[in-house]
Amino acid sequence: MKSIIEIKDVNLTLGEGAARVHVLKNIHLTICAGETVGLLGPSGSGKSTLLMTLAGLERPDSGDIIINGNNLCDLTEDRLATFRGRHVGIVFQSFLLIPTMTALENVATPLEIAGRDDAYARAKEELTSVGLGDRLSHYPAQLSGGEQQRVAIARALAPEPLIVIADEPTGNLDSETGAAITDLIFKQQKKKQTTLILVTHDPNLAARCGRRVMLKSGLIAADDAR
Amino acid sequence: MRGMLWRKTRFGLRYAWRDLSGDPRGFTIFILCIIIGVAALSCVSGLSFSLSQGLSQEGRVILGGDISLSLMSRQLTDDQRAFLTAHGKVSDVYVLRAMARRDNDDAAVIEIKAVDTTTYPSFGVVTLSPNLALADALKEINGVAGAAVDPLLLTRLNLKLGETIMIGNAKIELRAILENEPDKLAAGLGLGPRVLISLNALESSGLQTPGAIIRHLTRLTLDGPATNDDVKTLQYQLANIFPQAGWDIRSRDAISPQFTRNLDRFTQLLTLVALTALVAGGAGVANAVNAFVEKKHKQHAILKVLGLSGAHVFLIALTEILLASFVAIGCGLMIGALLPFIAAPALRQGTGLPFIQSFNSPGLAIGALYGLLVTCIFSFIPLGRIHETPVSCLLRDQPAFTKYFRYRSLTLIAVLFLLGLVINFAADLRLGLGFIFAVSLALGILFIASKLLMLAFRTLPHPKNPSLRLAFANIWRPKSLAPAILISIGLTQTLILTLIIVENSLHHELERADLGEIPNFYFLDVPKDKVNNFQDLLISQETSAHIQHAPMMRGRFIEIKGEAVERRAIADDAKWVLEGDRGITFSTTVPSNSKLIEGDWWPENYNGPPLVSLEKKTAEGFGLSLGDTIKVNVMGRLIVATVANFRKVDWRSYAINFVMVFSPNSFKTAPYNELFTISFDARSTDERNLKDANLTREIAKKFPSVVTIHVRETLASVDKIISQLALAARGATSIAILTAGLALASAILSSHRLRRYDAVILKIIGATRRWLTYAYGIEFTLLSIIASLIALLTAACAAYAMTKYLMKIDFIFPLLAVGGCMVVTIVATSTLGLMLTMRILSGSPARQLRNL
Repeated sequence: MKSIIEIKDVNLTLGEGAARVHVLKNIHLTICAGETVGLLGPSGSGKSTLLMTLAGLERPDSGDIIINGNNLCDLTEDRLATFRGRHVGIVFQSFLLIPTMTALENVATPLEIAGRDDAYARAKEELTSVGLGDRLSHYPAQLSGGEQQRVAIARALAPEPLIVIADEPTGNLDSETGAAITDLIFKQQKKKQTTLILVTHDPNLAARCGRRVMLKSGLIAADDAR
Repeated sequence: MRGMLWRKTRFGLRYAWRDLSGDPRGFTIFILCIIIGVAALSCVSGLSFSLSQGLSQEGRVILGGDISLSLMSRQLTDDQRAFLTAHGKVSDVYVLRAMARRDNDDAAVIEIKAVDTTTYPSFGVVTLSPNLALADALKEINGVAGAAVDPLLLTRLNLKLGETIMIGNAKIELRAILENEPDKLAAGLGLGPRVLISLNALESSGLQTPGAIIRHLTRLTLDGPATNDDVKTLQYQLANIFPQAGWDIRSRDAISPQFTRNLDRFTQLLTLVALTALVAGGAGVANAVNAFVEKKHKQHAILKVLGLSGAHVFLIALTEILLASFVAIGCGLMIGALLPFIAAPALRQGTGLPFIQSFNSPGLAIGALYGLLVTCIFSFIPLGRIHETPVSCLLRDQPAFTKYFRYRSLTLIAVLFLLGLVINFAADLRLGLGFIFAVSLALGILFIASKLLMLAFRTLPHPKNPSLRLAFANIWRPKSLAPAILISIGLTQTLILTLIIVENSLHHELERADLGEIPNFYFLDVPKDKVNNFQDLLISQETSAHIQHAPMMRGRFIEIKGEAVERRAIADDAKWVLEGDRGITFSTTVPSNSKLIEGDWWPENYNGPPLVSLEKKTAEGFGLSLGDTIKVNVMGRLIVATVANFRKVDWRSYAINFVMVFSPNSFKTAPYNELFTISFDARSTDERNLKDANLTREIAKKFPSVVTIHVRETLASVDKIISQLALAARGATSIAILTAGLALASAILSSHRLRRYDAVILKIIGATRRWLTYAYGIEFTLLSIIASLIALLTAACAAYAMTKYLMKIDFIFPLLAVGGCMVVTIVATSTLGLMLTMRILSGSPARQLRNL
């Protein structure tokens, strides 16, 4: 299988002075297209930070992150934003929807930013596929937690990205809703054959991943693929 | 019980001080707004105090004595002079307008002051250049008297010291430049440069003819150390012993009541503008307090959990706010006290007005009180959340709002107290109330407009373009910047635009001379036996000119309906008629530019008791009806006349018009001169200037006693004064712009939390910084355009009301100036908003995510 993500010797420290912490230590990881990878580990192990660097939201101090041949470390802030908008879909634990936009507008926005003429049509299509075809004009405050997360998933998938990153996507949901969201994520991943990388404490979610990477104190402690 | 209260108070004070000094962040704009507002208020009151103190302290020098008696076209009687001489030293000064003519017949209007060099000046020193004694400069040498002159005359007529001019029939040698004239201010505004000559020189000029408009000033310096009470006592005696004297009395502590009244009015206007600046900065105070409440809500919840009541926690928070406020007020007062003190000498030098270095403690106290009140007005309601909101809500991230009835009431009380202060210290109550009404109306309109705007944007269909959609959403969402921008920008721009429009209208009014809409010249003191010759001369110079003339004397109101004018209640807008002597005429027919609106005109051959026609507004101000009587002193003669009719006068025509027109038999044998006006066209400015110069020369040559007033030049001088006053007003308004800008900045910064949230998400899903900048730019530009348009409408209405109904001049709309001001405001607001928002766009999204 073709590798789509290559993380080479990535180091990252956060904080200053006495609070300085070496969060990622010489991380070396290769992910192939279409893989589903779960990042696991105790609190403070660097899972979310690794995810942020993959998404181009955090810059490593050293090393390279190459996604589909593009080295993120060589891109400027604005080019990272553009790359992200087109190729990386992100789902957060706290949904992070824009409160003053409807569900349809939230999903359409990344497509409009990317300059797509069919933004609204695509958005509608994606929202329908996650079961929210009748909630297009609702604002986030009018949606339940599960529905908001569905909108977030639709927003992440609408640009047809190369990779989808999810940081504890079920963390703020009850178990029943969480299970439904988990099903949705994997169903969409299978349908679109997107590469999926997620961070989770949820063992059910982790079990659904084809590969599990364990982090401990900023190092890769275990990797199913090895 | 008392011990518990004291312990709680001590705890509260200690806690408040420790909390504030430990983390004073977030109060920068709050403190700056209060400093600027209080400093502006204190500066205005300090400068006014400095000037009025100077007038008071130097009263004797400025007036030329303890008491000054002014008579027009006549002198004191022997009895009057004897009375004065018995109380102190008397000196005489004659002031009149005349023409100075040089050898090539070029002429210029001058203000002559003729003095007795043995008694003048009574106080102060006349400084000449070269350094001659006054008596030497003015004495007669080889039959030629000397003069000390304002250097402006040398420039006007292209003369040098040592050369001579003709004043009337007298040849006068220019011996010195008049550098300092200690009693200059008391003489009032003149139309031409000052020329100081001796009384003998005036006599030989031949200008002292019966009916000539000469002001005779007799100054009395009381014997011994005289207090202000002594001066007042003598004033009463003079009024009682010589009730019909018809003189204008000034004392050393009331040199020019009209000047003092105008100074008070102008001070009041600047104070109101400075107060508006403080109130405009109030939004910055409110934002700082809101941010303080949000930052500290968990701490306040903990205090409540630990047993402190809501009221107690509120008081602790209020103490912190007041401590910060006291620091700001203290700094503001220091600036407000020092600036006038430091500026006084320079102002004295630059304006010639007697500014002195002084401290105005009452003014500073009032400034401090205003600062405190504004702090309270904008703090009570936000701080009230601490008291009213339940502990459980305080511990959540988004505290629930509850009703703040008691704090709204407290705020209302503070507002009423503030308004009460404004009204109490108003020199002109109408001006104070009018200003309060106008500002309140503007604030109300802007507030309602902001709410309607938010509603409108919420209701509009969401734009397809995501940048526009974000911009629109930012306008209608809660904590939108719409109210802050509309009120800050709207209020200050309303002030500025009103000032621009009114100033422009005033300038246009004064430029009417250039448009041929008003006479080119006034000619004063045309001898009555030379009227036909004079008229012939005018016609010969300008064959198609429009010429008008009328007899003119000067007189003062003594009684109205049998009551002395001093004891009568007169409307404010009619008081000017009683200040000094007024022009008086008589006529067989209704004067042109007047319209008879009530009563009948006397027949042409009327020979009964004196009748008078009054200008309608003046009559109303005096409370006069048809058939009532007035008594006037005209050149020493007391005339009692019955009011026969009322006229409406078009003062703006600048044609010959009088408040009082008498029936001709009233002044059968009175000496008088004639007043002429002439209006003529010219094809170009050069032609007009040439015609003006020729006419002035011819008149000066053939009628040396006639004073020629060039209307256009006179209005240009007035225009200059208006520009200077407008500059002062603009200075005060710029303070309001500064505080409004700070308040706006604080509003933008306080909206950062919500903006940061949106910005982070948008960056995550692909928005570049340019995209976000564009969206924010649209938001700020849209809001500032709407604010400017509302300000334009409000300002246009305010300026229209002021020009049409208050000043009674044309409303002229200066499109270029107004448009330029609006463009600058829109660009500045958008730039400020974007600059302050740039912080959100920088930094890594991950770091910002962690801080969400």
